Amino acid sequence: MRDLPGLPSRRGFLKASAATAAIAGIAVPAKAEQKPEPVALTEYKPICLKPSEWAFVMAAVARLIPSEGEGPGAIETRVPVFIDMQLAGDYGRAADWYMEGPHDAAASPLRGWQTPLTPLEVYQQAIPVFDEWCKVTHGKIFAELDAATQDKALTSLQKDEMKIRPDLREFFTILLGNTKEGYFADPMYGGNHGMQAWTYIGFPGARGSYREWVLKHNVKYPLGPVSISGERA
Amino acid sequence: MKKLVRVLGVLVVLGLVALLAFIFVPVQRTGPVTQLAADFKPAKGQGEYVMRAGDCLACHTNEGGKPFAGGRAIQSPMGTIWTTNITPDKETGIGNWSLDDFRAALYDGVTPNGTHLYPAMPYENYRKMSEEDIVALYDYFMHEVEPVSDKVEETKLGFPFNLRFGLRAWNWLAASYEPGFKPTTGQDEQFNRGKYLVEGAGHCAACHSPRNLFMAQDGIDDTSKVFLTGGEIDGYTAPDLRGRDSGPQKWTTEQTAAYLSTARNAHSTATGEMMLVVRDSLQYLTKEDNMAIAAYLKKIGTAPANSASATPAAPIVTETEKMLTDAKADMPLGPRLYLDNCGGCHFVTGKGAGETFPELDGNSLVTAKSPKGLISVILHGAELPSTADRPMKMRMQGYDKRLSDEEIAALATFLREGWTNKAPAVSAADVKAVRDLAHH
Repeated sequence: MRDLPGLPSRRGFLKASAATAAIAGIAVPAKAEQKPEPVALTEYKPICLKPSEWAFVMAAVARLIPSEGEGPGAIETRVPVFIDMQLAGDYGRAADWYMEGPHDAAASPLRGWQTPLTPLEVYQQAIPVFDEWCKVTHGKIFAELDAATQDKALTSLQKDEMKIRPDLREFFTILLGNTKEGYFADPMYGGNHGMQAWTYIGFPGARGSYREWVLKHNVKYPLGPVSISGERA
Repeated sequence: MKKLVRVLGVLVVLGLVALLAFIFVPVQRTGPVTQLAADFKPAKGQGEYVMRAGDCLACHTNEGGKPFAGGRAIQSPMGTIWTTNITPDKETGIGNWSLDDFRAALYDGVTPNGTHLYPAMPYENYRKMSEEDIVALYDYFMHEVEPVSDKVEETKLGFPFNLRFGLRAWNWLAASYEPGFKPTTGQDEQFNRGKYLVEGAGHCAACHSPRNLFMAQDGIDDTSKVFLTGGEIDGYTAPDLRGRDSGPQKWTTEQTAAYLSTARNAHSTATGEMMLVVRDSLQYLTKEDNMAIAAYLKKIGTAPANSASATPAAPIVTETEKMLTDAKADMPLGPRLYLDNCGGCHFVTGKGAGETFPELDGNSLVTAKSPKGLISVILHGAELPSTADRPMKMRMQGYDKRLSDEEIAALATFLREGWTNKAPAVSAADVKAVRDLAHH
């Protein structure tokens, strides 16, 4: 996504939010709810992804929202778990989508899903294709490349430099989309662990109770977020 | 020595005779309180109206069952009581009952074969009904209700409550007062109409009066100080209706009447058992009758009538409201949970929105002696019935999955102490008890 000229940049916005979250973060943990930590990502048993696919998703999301630098990354927020859960569910099966076709790979992306494959099938078929391309081009499968090369490979994928099969052309788009969704969705869906992403950008979550704040201008909202299932941070 | 044995023997025999008499001599059944003209015929619809006022349908119909065919479980502290089939079916219902049989059930709590009814049947209150209403109700059941052949589960309480003859003694305490309705002299017709509905058919005291040592209603009319000062029903709170802070005393008569006929008014909404009473009974009463009930309740308030109108002149900003508005990150758990879960509808003022979200500040269910009603609403939510005047079924979701016992205890304690409320704290054990009740 390119920043629009004349408007505050997305990165700038995130930076500013991060600063406020950092200040808010000082007081919040005192009230944070104690929850047992879920199983570590390295121990996690994927519901639908095979080990090679899981390794790819882990490596890819770690580059799309990296852990180094500001704010939590996709790994700390358990985005891979979100993606696995979603692909194992209705989304992965395209359960409530129109899938009868005709599918026209040449159609404008604005015309929606133009492949007979479900999102899970796109992951399952695109990952080996992309890994093979990485091996040919960079010498190793994606998960084994160093970070800088991974970034390069993802950029190539985004620009479709490898001319991927038409029925897989949505792969990068849904990978990036699912990563963002896992980062910002309610924790009940497996990602946004501990509401770290919400805390980072200063989003107060599923509270829906701000009537008294409508007329308070330029006052920072002090409370940390709450999730749909009632977690507090 | 011989003499002593003989005396003892006589005493034992006398005792046995008395016991047998207590068990087997039929109960004297109460006759009509007024002799109606031989050609008395209830007005069209009168019987059904009395049935609505007495809410017979609610207990004598099972969830999803045929009207009045019984089989509904009433949880009592003594065990489960199954309501009976009161359709005019001759085998399984009351089709063979005479008017005198019918009256005896309503006045004395006995069936034609002399079996005592458990006082889950509010004959303590129905004893005040007029002969006209009894006849109308009898006529309704015999001629307007569809007979249903359905043998319902028999009530089998544990010892000693299975010995129904024991209720004879209980009735001497609870339902031995002179039958029929005694209007209060010097009060107007509206007052006495309200009094008749509240004390008689409406059997409000069955839930809203405390129970005495013998589990009888403590006070069945307004001559008793504790009449309608709050009780408990099936693990739910029936709030005080007479104290200074109770709904009928704080609200205008019109507001109370609106609550009775639509389950909602400018301040509050009916939940739990009361919601069912509005749904099945009160919404069918005329505006005049609900106004009469409201006017009567207001007049029997135990504290001097609140001269201030229902809405205070200048809204006072409470400490609680200030704390909730500031939303400081270090606020205690109770108010934090309120903002996270409740504030969106009930607002930081705790005043909610008229006819939609009940106010929690000054809400008698929130501050009731027993916190069970409040806990139950937090756990399981509430739904308003659809009534003719207000068809919208407003619903609050339950928080049983979202909040733990400790969290609900903290939240309920906050509600009971917040704004102008002053009621004792709630413990996690209190919450657990109500949560466990739901599994029965």
